[in-house]
Amino acid sequence: MIETQGLTKRYGKLEALKDLNLKIEQGKVFGFIGPNGAGKSTTMMILSTLLRPSSGKAYVGGFDVEKNPREVRQLIGYMPDFFGVYDNLKAIEYLDFYCGAYQIPERKRTALIADLLELVNLSGKADSYVDSLSRGMKQRLGLARCLVHDPKVLILDEPASGLDPRARIEMREILKELRAMGKTIIISSHILPELAELCNDIGVIEKGKLIAYGSVGDMTVGVKGISIMQLKVLDQAEAAEKILTDSPFVKRVDNKNRYFRFQFTGSDVDKAALLANLLSQGIPVVSFSEAKENLEDVFLAITEGVGS
Amino acid sequence: MRGFLTNPVIIKELRERFRTGKTAWILGSYLFVMGAILFGVIYVETANKVYFRPGESREIFILLTVIQLGMIGFIAPALTAGTISGERERQTLNVLLTTHLTPFSIVSSKMLTSLLFISLVVLSSLPLYSFVFLYGGISPVQLIKIFWFFSVNIIFFGSLGVFCSARFRRTGVSTIISYGLTFLVGVGTALITFFLWQFFEMMEWKAVDSDLFPFLFSINPGFVLAEIIGEKVVPPSLTYFMEPWILFSILYLGLSVFLLGWATRVLNPLRKKRLG
Ligand SMILES: Nc1ncnc2c1ncn2[C@@H]1O[C@H](COP(=O)(O)OP(=O)(O)OP(=O)(O)O)[C@@H](O)[C@H]1O
Ligand SMILES: [Mg+2]
Repeated sequence: MIETQGLTKRYGKLEALKDLNLKIEQGKVFGFIGPNGAGKSTTMMILSTLLRPSSGKAYVGGFDVEKNPREVRQLIGYMPDFFGVYDNLKAIEYLDFYCGAYQIPERKRTALIADLLELVNLSGKADSYVDSLSRGMKQRLGLARCLVHDPKVLILDEPASGLDPRARIEMREILKELRAMGKTIIISSHILPELAELCNDIGVIEKGKLIAYGSVGDMTVGVKGISIMQLKVLDQAEAAEKILTDSPFVKRVDNKNRYFRFQFTGSDVDKAALLANLLSQGIPVVSFSEAKENLEDVFLAITEGVGS
Repeated sequence: MRGFLTNPVIIKELRERFRTGKTAWILGSYLFVMGAILFGVIYVETANKVYFRPGESREIFILLTVIQLGMIGFIAPALTAGTISGERERQTLNVLLTTHLTPFSIVSSKMLTSLLFISLVVLSSLPLYSFVFLYGGISPVQLIKIFWFFSVNIIFFGSLGVFCSARFRRTGVSTIISYGLTFLVGVGTALITFFLWQFFEMMEWKAVDSDLFPFLFSINPGFVLAEIIGEKVVPPSLTYFMEPWILFSILYLGLSVFLLGWATRVLNPLRKKRLG
């Protein structure tokens, strides 16, 4: 449904996107992860026909985004990372305006708008002025706006940014509903555990380069020969931390009051040596084991060593 | 082209504009300024006289049209210079561009609603003219020409503002530049003409024989208005190769089309290369 081939975008000297190759099947949810400035928004804008790539090709539903923008626009619903709403318009009028912009016949609009407001839980706010809505409500209204023309593909740039935990959960539930409706969704986010639950595939992008790409299940830190270890001690936490940080194989030590979590890059032999070292220094070790990794670990491990 | 009242941008603009106090405020202050000047002049003119003479009604008419021309130059940029940059600043432009609205339909609907508003403001001042007409002094043909001339001005200064708001990202910058260009067209061309005339006199060149001056006099709205009303501002020996108001209309309507075309181009996110 979505495909990019060698997609590159340059802003002057800065290469915001380098040779990006993606392929997203119909009905799949693709999570796009990367730190600030990685090129997520740039990719999404190119896919939404808002930016001309410097080189490479991008297709949505088989249509070239540069050559057939009209067909692509019919297929996609795009939600930017930041967007505004119009003052002096009510929620229904706001949606009605976009219905008009998509040339939806007037007699269909009333029912359509009611359905959309229902879907995003804003039925009660139909007659409120949009600029009086809260951030979370505006975000949901923005999502409803994307859905006006029943697009097959949704391009959502950080739809959960700026939302409180409850609003995030609400947003996620709506997205799950959309997934169940068979939409192909590409979604970018900084909040990884959220994506894990929602996405089929995940791509990690860093400084314009796709550095990891695969199904959620395949995403393990093992990819980089790293394991996540945990260590619990009874006492002498400071001494233990010093031993850990001194080891050449240990990275990103996270000390939670006598409970440590860290990345380990060495072999099993190195692990045994580390434990022996801890014990020989008289550290009262309670447990020393491999931890179940989470997506946060994956993200940190994969984007390791790249600045900004 | 789809119907005027089903165009979503026009409906939205009308809703937005009518719901804010801004429109009423502009309308009110426009009428107030026009009225204040008019009655001020009448008061001063008639203070020492017993009755009101038709000859003076003509003067007042001229005064009214000049003020009105000035007001168009003042109001058109105010109403248009923020139309597209405003969408950009509110971060609503990108979303608009991903819909089926083309850059052309966005520019043209913004332009149409702006024209509607400027015309509304200008037309609302018609009652002020009414009592001047009672005393005559101006012919119906002149009146139609003036009406046409105002329309051309509204279209041109409106297009200029719309163009600036598409070309410049910030409404502030766009507003300043539209006023700057409006000033250049309104006053700058007159100054240039004046200085060139002086220069020709100084060099003892025959200014009246050159084609340059009829052209220069025809591109300044002030001179053209004077010509329509029949006031002799221009040296009488000068011969026009085309009636000034016709040349003026062709030139400025052409420029308007060009500016709107350029605005459309600037708005297209997939255009080949940057202009300007
Ligand atoms: N209009 C622009 N002109 C110049 N550079 C730009 C422009 N837009 C983006 N960039 C640069 O391109 C790079 C990628 O930006 P992009 O917005 O795609 O990142 P992102 O992954 O969306 O980041 P974030 O998580 O902060 O939203 C950044 O280094 C940014 O500075
Ligand atoms: Mg972004």
